[in-house]
Amino acid sequence: MSVIFWSILALALVPAAAAVATIHSRSIAPPLVMPPGEVFPTTSLQRLVRWSLALGLVPLAVAGGLVAWFGPTAFSDDDAVRLWATGLLLASVLALAAPTVLAGVWARRDDDKLDERDRAILARAPAGQAAAMLVLLAIWMIALTETFRGEPGIPAVFVNLIFWSCLTVGLLASNVGMLLSYRGS
Amino acid sequence: MARATIRNHIRRLRFEAGEMTQQALADQVGCTRQTIIVLEQERYVPSLALAMRVARAFGRTVDDVFELIED
Repeated sequence: MSVIFWSILALALVPAAAAVATIHSRSIAPPLVMPPGEVFPTTSLQRLVRWSLALGLVPLAVAGGLVAWFGPTAFSDDDAVRLWATGLLLASVLALAAPTVLAGVWARRDDDKLDERDRAILARAPAGQAAAMLVLLAIWMIALTETFRGEPGIPAVFVNLIFWSCLTVGLLASNVGMLLSYRGS
Repeated sequence: MARATIRNHIRRLRFEAGEMTQQALADQVGCTRQTIIVLEQERYVPSLALAMRVARAFGRTVDDVFELIED
């Protein structure tokens, strides 16, 4: 099996897990009822997380596309690919980390932007990170073991890719966890 | 230990308090309007501090606003 196949499988598992979690949270919580013509208001943190996901997923998808298009070894062999991919991944990490960092600043300032429910959601956000990263590491382990079976070693570039994927998936899981918590609680 | 549910009468008390809006109550107790909505729909159990602020906003005791239902 190729690394690309396992990468696609890994990418497919994340939204699948998010969908299952959403359906589960909907099934245990009664639906919110709003008067006709009124929309459920969003909080400052919720808007920040939505913007962060929108801005963070674009460079992440482009970086993933670059690595997939040129092949994982281009990340170490081709300086242009490595620089572009690293730049895009850094931009993605900055965007995805923004809610946690800014919410920390708001919490320290005792700002009106966060109330006790926002703080509770923020505190629960890392709950899914460990599970998401363990699933990702399991996929990497299976993919690399299957791809390089019988070979003397695994190219060092994969250490780099494992690091970036764990970092971005951890931040993604935290942000998705916050949005799901707003729906579920 | 038996499970318990916290019910509340916030919606009724808002209307009895001159049709106070959710936003007005939120401003008074220091939370977002979304928190008042999920409180009214019993999707969120508030902290003791918020429960006391809500009760104070209506000039009631916490027991008048919140009710513990043992399942």
